Amino acid sequence: MPLPLDVEPDAPLLLRGAQSTTRADVQGRATQLESCLSLRGVTRLLVKSDQPVHILSAIDAATRLGADVWIAHTDLSSHVIDDIVREHRIGAIVSSDDATATDIAPTTASSQICLMTSGTTGRPKVAAHAQEHFLGRFASQPSLPALSGSRWLLTYQPTTFAGLQMLLTSVYATGILVLPDERTPQGFLNAAQLHGVTHISGTPTFWRSLLMVMPPGSLRDLQQATLGGEAIDQVTLDRIRLAFPRARTTHIYASTEAGVVFAVNDGQAGFPAHWLTDGVQGSQLRIRDGLLEVRSPRKMTGYLGQAVSTPFVDDGWLRTADRVAVEGDRVHFVGRLDSVINVGGAKVDPFSVEAFLLSLQGVTEARVAGVRNQLTGFVVAADVVLAPGLDPDAARQRILAACYQRLPGTHVPRVLRIVDAVPVLDSWKKAV
Amino acid sequence: MSEPELLDLIKVVVDRIATSKGTSAPKILPNTALLGGGLPIDSLDLASLVVELEQATGRDPFKAGFVDFRTAGELAQLYLR
Repeated sequence: MPLPLDVEPDAPLLLRGAQSTTRADVQGRATQLESCLSLRGVTRLLVKSDQPVHILSAIDAATRLGADVWIAHTDLSSHVIDDIVREHRIGAIVSSDDATATDIAPTTASSQICLMTSGTTGRPKVAAHAQEHFLGRFASQPSLPALSGSRWLLTYQPTTFAGLQMLLTSVYATGILVLPDERTPQGFLNAAQLHGVTHISGTPTFWRSLLMVMPPGSLRDLQQATLGGEAIDQVTLDRIRLAFPRARTTHIYASTEAGVVFAVNDGQAGFPAHWLTDGVQGSQLRIRDGLLEVRSPRKMTGYLGQAVSTPFVDDGWLRTADRVAVEGDRVHFVGRLDSVINVGGAKVDPFSVEAFLLSLQGVTEARVAGVRNQLTGFVVAADVVLAPGLDPDAARQRILAACYQRLPGTHVPRVLRIVDAVPVLDSWKKAV
Repeated sequence: MSEPELLDLIKVVVDRIATSKGTSAPKILPNTALLGGGLPIDSLDLASLVVELEQATGRDPFKAGFVDFRTAGELAQLYLR
């Protein structure tokens, strides 16, 4: 099932500054790549580029050939790439410059799209999705035709699951993807204004940084504000709704392994508790040991490689690392399995403290982690970014006073630093 | 840092904690008990005091394990070694 690049071939698909790439340009590149791969009998290829044009043309070429395609993050070292190429018997590497054949003899392919997990050091896990299902979801989505001509700002790295969703949505909706000249908050704002974007999807950390640099009243044409990739707090949702009163606000729960599980459109953090019994958008949800488990029709077929343990627990159920709690008729995300801080035996979720700090007036960003000490194991430490013009000492005292009054003692940041910015990863997730 | 400087830092941190809690701290002398006495701090506050002392001096007297201390003066002594 090739990508529908022949629909409106002369329409722009990618815009970056004054540079425009049409749908036909991408398709032309795919045709070249197809003949090159076909001549060499390549059945498995790996894309080593974060340029949307290379990724899309490689996927298109792979679908025409029935080949398997791996999308590699560009920060992987060459020996990790070599390992992956050898383990999976990959016949060609598509990079920014060209396609290069490896010395590996062709093997069988089964039309897979293989994505790599991120956020871990060393070798990423490879999540394999069946092309037919992965792309079929876009082809059959009834809401896409109405989005024709929409302009999406690409905030995610193109090699990630979320980035790829944006690339493919633009292709299937006959929309336009707007790329920034530089991946800074100002760079994104400039690109969004230059090209009048109508849709922005990003992590909560991305949104907060955009709001920090954005003059009030900017981007008035925005129709859709989407959040994903990290746990979402109510304050950030509310700030986005206030800044873009005409835009619909959606948060999406998705992962490389589970695919897109569900989208929430009611402007509230978390999701309705009745989804645990009724299911939602074709997915089923349950809570086991405090963790969210999902069974999604859009899930991967599995991790590739024999040494990798499976996250599937039973019968298609996938265990996530997201800790959730039911509060009334809502299920809330409370943190990640691996990020709990043990403070004198009490478990503290950094996310809950960050959400509290963000709810305080004048706090524009917060990052919480554990600091080790011999008395209590760990204490909570927080870095906080303030709105411009505030006196740091007074703000610090006010923030601490609010924490002491309203948080359990174990959750109060015992080390509080006022900083200019918190460290952010290339994926626009907060570094942990 | 000298012992008086360390005691001053302890006072500053305890004062700040007390203010955050909406109270005030009494005068701190070398023989003032840190916990269970008249100071408005608990063991978690004490942990934050230790973290601040470590950051100010670059020393970690607890590196090899827990060391017993009871008063402000004894805590200050740990960071002199």
